[in-house]
Amino acid sequence: MTAQTPARRAPRRPKPPPGSRRYGPVRIVGMAVVWLFTAFNLLLLYWLVAASFKTPIEIFQQPFGLPLHWFQLGNPMRNYLYAWNEAGFGHAFVVTVLLVGAAAVSVVAVGAPAAYALSRLGVRGHGPLTSFFAIGMGVPFQTVIIPLFVAFSKIDLTNSLFGLYLLYVALSLPFTVFLLTGFFRSLPTELEEQAAIDGASPVRTFVRVMLPLAQGGLVTALIINAIGLWNETLLAIVFLQENAKFTLSRALFTFYGAAQYQSEYGGLIAGVAIVVLPMLVMYIVLARRIIGGLTLGAGK
Amino acid sequence: MTSATLRREREETRTARAGSIGAHQRRRRRIFWPFVGPALLLYVLFLAFPTVSAVVLSFTHWAGAGGTPVFNGLDSYRELFGEEAFYDSFRNTLIFLVVGGVGTFVLAFLFTMVLREMRGNKLIRAILFFPNIVAPVALGIFLGFVFKFNPTKQGLANFLVEKIGLPPLKFLQPEHVTWVVVGALIWASAGFYITILMAAVDRIPAYLYEDADIAGASPFQKFRHVTLPLTWDVIGIAGVLWTIHAIKIFELVFVLAGPGTYSPPISTWSLGLYVYDRSFGAGGTPQYGVVCACGVVMILLVSLFVLALRRLMRREAIEY
Amino acid sequence: MATVTLKGATRFYAGQHTPAVDALDLEVADGEFLVLVGPSGCGKSTTLRMVAGLEGVDEGGIAIGDRDVTDLPPKDRDIAMVFQNYALYPHMTVRENIGFHLRIRREPKALIAERTAEAAQLLDLTEVLDRKPAQLSGGQRQRVAMGRAIVRRPQVFLLDEPLSNLDAKLRVQTRTQIAALQREFAVTTLYVTHDQVEAMTMGDRVAVMNGGVLQQCATPPEIFARPVNLFVASFIGSPAINLLNASAADDTVRGPGFELRLTRAQASSLTGTDVVVGLRPEAWTVGEPGTGVDATIEVVEELGSDQYIYCSTVGGADDPIAVDPSLGMPAADTGLPRPLTVRTQGMAPYARGQRVGLRPDSASAHLFDANTGLRLED
Repeated sequence: MTAQTPARRAPRRPKPPPGSRRYGPVRIVGMAVVWLFTAFNLLLLYWLVAASFKTPIEIFQQPFGLPLHWFQLGNPMRNYLYAWNEAGFGHAFVVTVLLVGAAAVSVVAVGAPAAYALSRLGVRGHGPLTSFFAIGMGVPFQTVIIPLFVAFSKIDLTNSLFGLYLLYVALSLPFTVFLLTGFFRSLPTELEEQAAIDGASPVRTFVRVMLPLAQGGLVTALIINAIGLWNETLLAIVFLQENAKFTLSRALFTFYGAAQYQSEYGGLIAGVAIVVLPMLVMYIVLARRIIGGLTLGAGK
Repeated sequence: MTSATLRREREETRTARAGSIGAHQRRRRRIFWPFVGPALLLYVLFLAFPTVSAVVLSFTHWAGAGGTPVFNGLDSYRELFGEEAFYDSFRNTLIFLVVGGVGTFVLAFLFTMVLREMRGNKLIRAILFFPNIVAPVALGIFLGFVFKFNPTKQGLANFLVEKIGLPPLKFLQPEHVTWVVVGALIWASAGFYITILMAAVDRIPAYLYEDADIAGASPFQKFRHVTLPLTWDVIGIAGVLWTIHAIKIFELVFVLAGPGTYSPPISTWSLGLYVYDRSFGAGGTPQYGVVCACGVVMILLVSLFVLALRRLMRREAIEY
Repeated sequence: MATVTLKGATRFYAGQHTPAVDALDLEVADGEFLVLVGPSGCGKSTTLRMVAGLEGVDEGGIAIGDRDVTDLPPKDRDIAMVFQNYALYPHMTVRENIGFHLRIRREPKALIAERTAEAAQLLDLTEVLDRKPAQLSGGQRQRVAMGRAIVRRPQVFLLDEPLSNLDAKLRVQTRTQIAALQREFAVTTLYVTHDQVEAMTMGDRVAVMNGGVLQQCATPPEIFARPVNLFVASFIGSPAINLLNASAADDTVRGPGFELRLTRAQASSLTGTDVVVGLRPEAWTVGEPGTGVDATIEVVEELGSDQYIYCSTVGGADDPIAVDPSLGMPAADTGLPRPLTVRTQGMAPYARGQRVGLRPDSASAHLFDANTGLRLED
């Protein structure tokens, strides 16, 4: 009853299980819709990038074509240069990079120890305290704007990048602490115990053992905060009044009105591109991190 | 570390496990406050305390940073509820919240179920996710271009509409713009929720679906009996995130519905916009008491929806 | 008539050149309990899944009764399956889990309730009907999975290693329960396991598979007494059979310390002079050193009712004794002496280090062709 014949069969794509609706009618329609949607998104992206090199007439009358006019004139970056110099985006870019960088790093630097302490030290009341932080996520910024504005005006911080920095850090804490407590909680306890047996102080244990372990979570928190702060507009509108101190989104907000008035559509769309494209680049490089970090939170 | 200290520490750790706190635990707990302190300080100072202030201030009348708040009981609330602008804002915010929420979730679920067995689904998911990380300001301005109505400079949407022979539409008119915002909201948010839902659906073991196949379940039955119940709690979390997000909507409306420098027409306002206009807007004296009252209303709205969602979603944790 | 017939059934996995199941011909009679057994990766689970309709069939066909079901989806095959990890729906109660398949088929509620109660009583689950799977013990979960299969009243039962997640004692208990249930319902059953004890004790017939190929399909006594090749001989039986290299000349087989007779039928099927002699632990007599195979006792395993002694043989690296059974075919020995396993009476007075002579029982010896691995029929 043995079948030891070494038959030579060509490898092929194995058949799917019978009756599986891999390509049933509903699925085909669904797949078509998904591809359409995706193509649509890509189209819009193309439109944005192309438009940022076009004249206003080209933008509106030849939306799908490639930019021509400025290229012909030998000044393809005209829109970007306008936004960068005339509209102050160049300056705003630097301001934003510094501010967002500093704030994101600070949030993680302050939030990580707190998250660690709340999730691993087993202090009484750590549960309610963690919840206390977490519900901060639900408070809309609009609610606290007036008290903050009044308080800041009393100490003359209403037009200050430092003031904005403090706000950015404080208001990003709830989410960061929430994300990181979940993350720390999932790490194994044996290493801490081992470190204690080896004689490391608790602070040492945290810095030398836990932080490296939590690297993934920290980087994710950093990235998500950076993205959120890069895009943050409301607080920037309220707490920055000088052009020289504007962040990118703030500058864009102000430029919008002026550009409409002057029909400076080219510069405006270039401005949009300047705000969006760095995020796109970061996203392409770090997509897995970003998406992974969020699903980690969703799993709790 | 001498062996004696090590031994003692180990004994103490053992006693700790027997119920009381040993030196090991004590040492660890000593760092609690230094670690949590800075975060707690910042949080209380810049978020918790201002929230409380907002609540307190909502019971005052205050005409701006020049004057002082004067306690006036519920007058600010009465004033708030008397304003047509508030009702418009409230209505629009509810539309964003409910219609936008349902739309986003339905779309996200449909996409999730289709995407699960498609090739290239990771790439597609990444592409769909992208609008989520674009600044709302930028998104609004971008969509302003797309939906522009101007006989000489039609936006992309009207460009296509005219191409297929239909008359161009005034998308951004006050009557329509709220729905454009809802559409934009759904489009921009879908990717995020697709990602979260897919992660949840991926966790469902394949053998449950196989058993359902043996039982003869149709795709709809599989969705209803397997997929939906086992992702219920993630849906709840997503719902909470959506609520928090939708209440804050401001820049998108401001930029899409308005000329850019001044506030858009009142009928298009959201609660977030209302707060902004009444405190920093160009018209009239600021009324901080009323604004704070609106802020309190916003918090209450969030709390209400979150509590309702948690009620709806409440169930014992599912263990696989 | 609910027979299950596989004809030349073949299954490839994506990207693999060798099939997971290779031209399998198997027939399960109506009401028969057939056990598919083999090491991990031998293709037994894949075979089961092909019968269930969860895997496609790349070549060949499957029939249930006289219906060709090769291209039918699982729901049209009238089968029920018990998964290895039970596949219980964690959000449903036991009652709902058991009745799930009937609910999907929109059977009347009364019928569902009746059958559920019946199954619960049969499987001793009546008290936990309203609990969720997470609140049940492993044995209870297993029974819920069985219950769900039973209420279907299918033509064929498919069980995929249902006992492998239970602890040893529970496994023995549940084994007899499953066998009893099957006899009572007289439903054709295809049962997959990697445990040869389960195979031998539960099956009407046992089908041994290795590397996607069916090795032998026969009743347990037949498999034990007349294994068709080296693989089957060494897979079935615990402790494993002892395999020794020997050489054939005329009508004798010479092993290291003993001689066996070679019948004419055996001699004619021999393809060379290399022979592997298979002797189970119970096929030896322990005697004084100098008789039979010279051996030194290394380990004594006292089980009370039996005793197993593991002996190393005297001899250098250039006369290796036993062949590596896990390869199924004779392989070059590493030169390390391998222990001979011998069964003796419980409480026998053997001790470590003792030198003994092991005499094989020629009537129980199996002779295998060293080149083909096939047993030589006498």
